Amino acid sequence: MPADKQHWFRIREELPPRRAALLTAASFLLPIAIWCIVSYTPFIWHPDVKLQLSAMREGVSTTYTAGDHVSRDFFPTFVEGVRSDNAAIRESLADPEFKGNSAMRRENQRRLRQLAPVAISNGWLSAGDAENDAAIYEIWKGIATGTLVPTRPALTDENLAIVRENWAALAAGSETFDFKALPDKPLLKLVPQGRLANPNYLPAPHEVVIKGWTLFTQPLSSGQWLYQRLMHSITIVFSGFLLAAAIGVPLGVLCGTYDAFSKLFEPFIDFFRYMPAPTFSMLLVAVFLAHDAPKIALVFIGTFFQLVLVVAKTTRQLDRSLLEAAQTLGAKPPQLLGKVVVPGILPDLYNDLRILLGWAWTWLVIAELIGVKSGLTEFIETQGRYRNFDAVFPVIILIGVIGFCTDQFLAWFRGILFPYTARNRRPLGLGLPFKGLFQRSPVIPAATPESSR
Amino acid sequence: MQLELPDYREQSPEVRARFAKIAQRPVVLGVEGLTKRFQTPRGEVTALEDVTFNVHRREFLTVIGQSGCGKSTLIRILAGLETLTEGSVLVDGKPVTGPGPERGMVFQGYTLFPWLTVKKNVMFGLRVRGTDTVTAESEARQWIEMVGLSKFENSYPHELSGGMKQRVAIARALANQPRVLLMDEPFGALDAQTRCQMQTYLLQIWRNVDITIVFITHDLDEAILLADRILVLKPHPGRVEELIEVPVPRPRDPGQLLTPEFLATRKRLEELIHPPSSATTDKLPNLRLTTVGDEVE
Ligand SMILES: Nc1ncnc2c1ncn2[C@@H]1O[C@H](COP(=O)(O)OP(=O)(O)O)[C@@H](O)[C@H]1O
Ligand SMILES: [Mg+2]
Repeated sequence: MPADKQHWFRIREELPPRRAALLTAASFLLPIAIWCIVSYTPFIWHPDVKLQLSAMREGVSTTYTAGDHVSRDFFPTFVEGVRSDNAAIRESLADPEFKGNSAMRRENQRRLRQLAPVAISNGWLSAGDAENDAAIYEIWKGIATGTLVPTRPALTDENLAIVRENWAALAAGSETFDFKALPDKPLLKLVPQGRLANPNYLPAPHEVVIKGWTLFTQPLSSGQWLYQRLMHSITIVFSGFLLAAAIGVPLGVLCGTYDAFSKLFEPFIDFFRYMPAPTFSMLLVAVFLAHDAPKIALVFIGTFFQLVLVVAKTTRQLDRSLLEAAQTLGAKPPQLLGKVVVPGILPDLYNDLRILLGWAWTWLVIAELIGVKSGLTEFIETQGRYRNFDAVFPVIILIGVIGFCTDQFLAWFRGILFPYTARNRRPLGLGLPFKGLFQRSPVIPAATPESSR
Repeated sequence: MQLELPDYREQSPEVRARFAKIAQRPVVLGVEGLTKRFQTPRGEVTALEDVTFNVHRREFLTVIGQSGCGKSTLIRILAGLETLTEGSVLVDGKPVTGPGPERGMVFQGYTLFPWLTVKKNVMFGLRVRGTDTVTAESEARQWIEMVGLSKFENSYPHELSGGMKQRVAIARALANQPRVLLMDEPFGALDAQTRCQMQTYLLQIWRNVDITIVFITHDLDEAILLADRILVLKPHPGRVEELIEVPVPRPRDPGQLLTPEFLATRKRLEELIHPPSSATTDKLPNLRLTTVGDEVE
């Protein structure tokens, strides 16, 4: 039966390569597709309204500015509140007894600035000019007279009418901005506008991509580049990990080879690993002071104890009969360690270290938060505190991509280092981009050699 | 039809002369009153009791017995991989105290070093004993040639078939030029055809090399085809049941499998290893499904 005619679901059978590749691609595309659907289909979820234009309310202490999220249920109340404010203003303006008040000018200046976010997103105003009243004044004029037509976002007819109504009052004072010429009677408030949005902890894919691009291509506000922070994080992970490996691998091999080492070290190590590494953070800061040393020490503690036990276990799993065979060939016990044990466990040891490197990345996040916060984690934490989740996601994804790529590379490299294990063992996870690139092909001829002689 | 078989102890004059010649050669491996007891959580297990035999130079001894009768234990003691409880094992008159290069071993599970190529595997023994690389390499090549694997000297074990792996294991053991080659069911994991070829190869190698072989098997035909003498072990605890001198003339080939001497020996082995009493106690009940249709007999 041709491979593509076979059933997709066959118990413990491998799929043909085309299908495997297809599903591998799908395993990445599926979550992204779900993210897109949730983000771009307004009737799915979208519990918030993201304000494009906001308004202040008298007697309401919470203020919202454009860009803020309000709940979908609250938004109509907010709009109605502003409308009733406007109704009250119209009522008092209609009263011939109503006297102006010079303190009103400051309030009116604020109401003019309501248009600034709309002007910025329409590209008429740069982000730094949000309080440039002269420029904003021109925009009021432009919209009222029809020379400027807002499209991203457009203004509602209600708001366009308010702009024209306010402009009539403003133009009566001055055609250009002059604080003293501002009306002393209240201007109308623009009614809040917004679009349906998901909570800001779930930014849409394009927001993350755009933010991610700027994060990598421009220096951060601190003047550093993101890649410098990344290098710092990588340095900490690898310092801690390599230190743990440098001490842990020899110790683990000795424990797995000689029972004396095993009985002397393993019980305590086994106990120690149940004490979570983060609980030592204060202690480490006290001992190693504030900068990188306690962070490296934390990665070390998190990795080392597991590593010794894992390496010892791997060493013990080496086929005993290989040791026996070596002895019957004349190898003396001291030679066994270097000639049989070490080369025999090397491929498995390599895999152990690969897995433990993944653990080291996990400890990094805690390590970077102790003492003086640093690296990618500090960036994530700061951005998260300001709820800039669109900046948080690219960094989280970056860490994931680096970890995944390192692991895939190491898995592929294993096949090069240990060609004799290449057959029947595929790297974990993807494996596809590298599959078959550098593998030695087995040299077994089709017929069994015995029968051909 | 009942075939009239000769007594397995009847030997032709040539065969008798051959055994007389072997008996005059020096004893390479002497086993005297060998007893082995294992301490287990469920008490003491006697695996071998008072096993005594001698193997002469260039003799081929096969050891046969049911599974669990102590064959592996015996050969591991000979190799020095297991200690003995009582008795003595002497190689060229010197007691065995541990594993050593004068006793090569071939295991059922190949036990090639997967990280070494065929050539490096064969060089292993020479290198750990201090031979320089150049000498070791040229010697290894000879042994690889002898087992017919020159084309594969740079292959890794995982690239070889089971039979090829076992030939490498034999070359690796022989490269040390041991006095005795110990083989524990070396062809047990191979298919029938490959196994038959391996037996022929082994006999050929044995003829061409000064080597004494102790070969463990549970295959009756294999035991007879290869051996000068067969040591039959009896289980629980493992004792020597009989030491049979094989009356089949040399050189051997699988064509002799149906000769009267061969069949007589085989019949004797069958009596020893599968006694009639066990055949009666281990019978299946004759349950018959009512749905069974046509007769098969
Ligand atoms: N290390 C051991 N500890 C305890 N009992 C053992 C050990 N090795 C072998 N035995 C026992 O010795 C007997 C012989 O085993 P073995 O030599 O492997 O038999 P064979 O190779 O003939 O199948 C068995 O009953 C087995 O249970
Ligand atoms: Mg056995």
